[in-house]
Amino acid sequence: MHVEIDEPGRKVLLMGNEAIARGAIEAGVDFCSGYPGNPASEILETLAGVAKKLDFLTEWSVNEIVALEAAGAAACAGLRAMTVMKNMGVDVCSDFLMTVNMSGTKGGFVLISGDDPAVHSSNSELDTRNYARFADIPLLEPATTQEAKDMTKWAFDLSEELGVLCMVRTVTRLSHSSGLVSLGPITREERSAEFAPLLGTWTSGSGDYTCMFHDALHGKLKTAQEKFEESQFNWYTGKEDAEFIIITSGTGWLYSAEAVKLLGLKDEVGILKLGTTWPLPEKLIAKHLKHAKEVLFVEEIDPFLEQNVKVLAAELAADIGPIKFYGKKSNHIRSEFGAGVGELDVDTVMRGLTETMNVTYIPRDQDYAEKAEKLVGSYAPNRSMAFCAGCPHRASFWAIKRALKWDGRDGIVTGDIGCYSMAQLPTGFMVLKSMHCMGAGIGTATRFGNLKRYGLDKPVIAVSGDSTFYHACIPALINARWNKSNLLYVILDNKTTAMTGNQPHPGIGIDALGEPSPVTPIEDVCKGIGVEVRKCDPFDIDEATQNLYEMLQTEGVKVIIFSRECALTEAQKRKKKPRVYVDQDKCIGDECGCMRFCTRVLNCPGNIWDYTKGKAKIDEVVCNGCGLCAKLCPAGAIIVEEVV
Amino acid sequence: MQNIKGPDDLQRNVLDEELCTGCGACTNLCPYIDMVKANAIIIEPCGLSKGRCYNFCPRSYIDVPSLDKSIFGSYREDIAIGSNIYVMKARAKDEEIRSAAQYGGVVSALIIHALQTGKIDAAVLATSSDGVNPKPTIARSKKEVLECVGSKYIVSPTVSKVLDAIKGEMGKIGVVCTPCQMTAIRKMQDSPFETGEEKISLGIGLFCTWCFSPDTYEYIRSLVGSANILKTDIPPPPANIFVIQTDERRVEVPLDEIRKFIMPSCAVCFDMTNEFSDISVGTVEGEEDWNTVIVRTRNGERFLKSAKEAAIIETKPLEKEKFNHLCEASLNRKKRALKEIDGRKITYLTIRDEERSKIISWNGGI
Amino acid sequence: MIGDDPLNIIITGVGGQGNVVASRIIASAAVNEGLYVSVGEIYGASQRGGAVTSYVRLSGEMQYGPIIPRGMAHIIIGFEPIESLRAIGNFGSKKTRAIINPRPIYPVDVLSGTLEYPPVEEVLKAIKELVYGVQVIEATELAKKAGDAVMQNIVMVGCVVGSGLIPIEIETTKEIIKESFAKERVEANLKAFKSGVGEIKGRKAV
Repeated sequence: MHVEIDEPGRKVLLMGNEAIARGAIEAGVDFCSGYPGNPASEILETLAGVAKKLDFLTEWSVNEIVALEAAGAAACAGLRAMTVMKNMGVDVCSDFLMTVNMSGTKGGFVLISGDDPAVHSSNSELDTRNYARFADIPLLEPATTQEAKDMTKWAFDLSEELGVLCMVRTVTRLSHSSGLVSLGPITREERSAEFAPLLGTWTSGSGDYTCMFHDALHGKLKTAQEKFEESQFNWYTGKEDAEFIIITSGTGWLYSAEAVKLLGLKDEVGILKLGTTWPLPEKLIAKHLKHAKEVLFVEEIDPFLEQNVKVLAAELAADIGPIKFYGKKSNHIRSEFGAGVGELDVDTVMRGLTETMNVTYIPRDQDYAEKAEKLVGSYAPNRSMAFCAGCPHRASFWAIKRALKWDGRDGIVTGDIGCYSMAQLPTGFMVLKSMHCMGAGIGTATRFGNLKRYGLDKPVIAVSGDSTFYHACIPALINARWNKSNLLYVILDNKTTAMTGNQPHPGIGIDALGEPSPVTPIEDVCKGIGVEVRKCDPFDIDEATQNLYEMLQTEGVKVIIFSRECALTEAQKRKKKPRVYVDQDKCIGDECGCMRFCTRVLNCPGNIWDYTKGKAKIDEVVCNGCGLCAKLCPAGAIIVEEVV
Repeated sequence: MQNIKGPDDLQRNVLDEELCTGCGACTNLCPYIDMVKANAIIIEPCGLSKGRCYNFCPRSYIDVPSLDKSIFGSYREDIAIGSNIYVMKARAKDEEIRSAAQYGGVVSALIIHALQTGKIDAAVLATSSDGVNPKPTIARSKKEVLECVGSKYIVSPTVSKVLDAIKGEMGKIGVVCTPCQMTAIRKMQDSPFETGEEKISLGIGLFCTWCFSPDTYEYIRSLVGSANILKTDIPPPPANIFVIQTDERRVEVPLDEIRKFIMPSCAVCFDMTNEFSDISVGTVEGEEDWNTVIVRTRNGERFLKSAKEAAIIETKPLEKEKFNHLCEASLNRKKRALKEIDGRKITYLTIRDEERSKIISWNGGI
Repeated sequence: MIGDDPLNIIITGVGGQGNVVASRIIASAAVNEGLYVSVGEIYGASQRGGAVTSYVRLSGEMQYGPIIPRGMAHIIIGFEPIESLRAIGNFGSKKTRAIINPRPIYPVDVLSGTLEYPPVEEVLKAIKELVYGVQVIEATELAKKAGDAVMQNIVMVGCVVGSGLIPIEIETTKEIIKESFAKERVEANLKAFKSGVGEIKGRKAV
């Protein structure tokens, strides 16, 4: 692995998330925790991969608040600790965040947050930079993979110096992009942990004490600001007294630089690139606002810099004179969906520049663009997301769909975050009718299933994954029982955290390092809560349907665990995949009795349709060999052969 | 062919109208339709505009003249009990069968005979593990047939089992079923779709005035608790009771009490005596150890003859009075059904106009 | 070799086709050739049947951002016909060269019958109308011959390296392939790579 190369000065290709991991390694991290979530998952995976060799600790925690608490404890004990999570993970840990900011830290304490502009793998465009301002903590925003490493390393120093946790905000495009990184030395400082908080107690206090701590936090932020004025991560390029400047952070920097270059505006436009974005380096910004008459803000998601710089400009108005501000408010920086939504790229910045400066830019001539659009429209059908070939969720949702039809009361299915969220789409027969945060499926089902008093009397099914169960569903399940709800909770136990790349969870028996750890069975937890629990394999589809149906007929809170390993992890383990093929003589095709069930309804990407013959076929490259289609084929035309 | 429609029509014309008989003719054909509590449920529309589900359904449409023609070669002369060659009383000669059977044991005796002579390789019958709740099963031996004796009053999806049997290894299949189920089987045989229906070699039809819905089971249980139910019975008129015999006691329920569990689809049923069977079998008024037997087809006639020659059954003529009562009961049912059909503007049944007016104007007596 | 700097390469396909591995190999080889390299990747949908597009940008001068501007792809390596067309629609121009595996991976929308997948020849024809030149490579078939259909990505890497369009040597790439796979998989992948190189070498350049 490149991250463990100990050759200072060597340039290697690292992914953004690997660079962050490398930064932590170079900082001598002692402990890293996290909960899987795109785009941040690979950071902890990378660290766990070298943790043994470099002799530090890692853990996948059951959720983000536990992760932050764990890292907070390690930092409190004087160690260097880091927690990694996706954007919405910061919501989960914010309760601790909003207090541990005041109680402070002894060791370097770094929170890495991965935002997801354009929602490549998420369900929110939450801009977590707002949390840094909200919590009065220093915020760093890397623009390149090199900075991802360097800033992470520096965040530890900064945190230690200030005595407060620091946040580093990455975005999907940086986390999952690779670039050259010049390596620094790997340092392993032997620290010893002790519980010795500075004030004897590790607390955010109460009453006046909290106010004092809060004020002290503001003081720390002031110190941070002074440091940021000198930071190597902030710089200005272009004409010294440019009247038009771009203020940018994060990935916006590279896009801005390329846009300015492509438009030939190097001599006219200055770029103020900020790496430390909360608190703002006010003096540095003021210096450049002074010569600017027009400012364009280029940043991912929210107008965070835009608003904060405007406040600063108002304070400095007498000194700097009138300035025209462009960005999200003015709608000059916008995606196809609008301003403050979606992801930046070079074209977006170029459009912002052409609309605010007197330049034109035509990426491709009109004829070509129109022709391209027309041809793509005619010959490139859309490609929706779908459950993988062999995915147990396909069977689970078919069973749920059937059971609800059997029941006939037009039941409601609520869910949350995971691969199974795709059951909102045709791949899951559009069974799932709600999705919000982790655990919200069972949480909302608790009251959907208890509104008879107001006339809502339908069966309610909540679904969640196994990892989600541990993460956020247990309190809701207890609440449902406590408050006498009526619901059936389906736990789709695929023995992994699939959506984020198959990380382990407490039900599997291994930890972040892949070493054995005690198992907490879902079934035992549910039984302990006191609810009826059944368990079955969703591939036994009739049995699964029957169980669901029966449980829908009874009152109270019930749990059914659909237990079947994720097709991807299962495929990794086995040596040969079974050969699956369609007996062309038996296949009914699109006639009565089948009507292309395997492709049209079951919709597994491994089942394809031969239009010339009017028969089903298996795409042997895509097929995972699970045999679900063979079980459901009404003609028994799909044959599964074990390959020895 | 103009009558053949698809699942959307099945939903609209049959299921939404609560006309499903629970026969199972539309299930086991495809993955889109399941049978739950004697109601067909379309899980997902298959998208076809023509299908076997609608084609086989005994409540989508019944063209009586056309079915008569294809089964009997000509249109019925007897408007009361449908085409028949002769009507008589019969009972099984085998004591073992008779003692096990509810009445004369003719059905069991004939099926066993058919299996033993190779007339059929398997028979689809209704069985019950608890004396009440029936489920269809495939019997291949005398022993298996005897496990199925006794009347079942709750509906079971026999035709879906027939479809199972067709898909299986069995060559020739016999069926014992109710009139609606027999209608489905005859429609299957009369259909342009090929389902393997030629395997069905013998159709023994049961008389039926109505069936109970599966919810009846809960009700019966509420009456007898967890006691072991040996059999249920509706003795011939004028008893007017439903009897539950457990190994502890006999519980009698007034028929009117249990009528609320009758399948809604029975209200439009036109056929009490199983008019499309090869041989129809029912009770005899006032006689507990004989059956009424109507022989309808040449196939049925030949088979019954062989059973008689082999001394499997013994027969007696049916008394004129009893025959008249049977016809009256049947006409009564038809008249009520027509009234219901007309009142609800349901269009599933096609009969000749003259037959219709005769039945409508019938006021008792033969 | 194309002289543009930065040289913009797009690798496009469907989740599970090995986009990420292919872009990593090309990028790592480019690093060993002493170039500035950036790779942009989005693979949230990678295992879920969605389209996956990787951007590889090579430069002798500086580090570029991970996203290629509209119309500026010089080379498009398409693992799947309609995804190739889609990428060309966004990033192609009359200067773009395309190397395409014509084997379709049907979108679920097509399998369900909601949408239609046009005949592959028509897709290729549409592509030809939009680019400078196209090489159609039966990469899945070549990969099968090398031992496993999944190695079509490596066959395609072989084609692009063998084409001489990018400033990366065959030997450099081989070294990276050796580092990139578990021991027992190296030989088959080298075989796939070589078959790609051989396939393209036998053709007239476009």
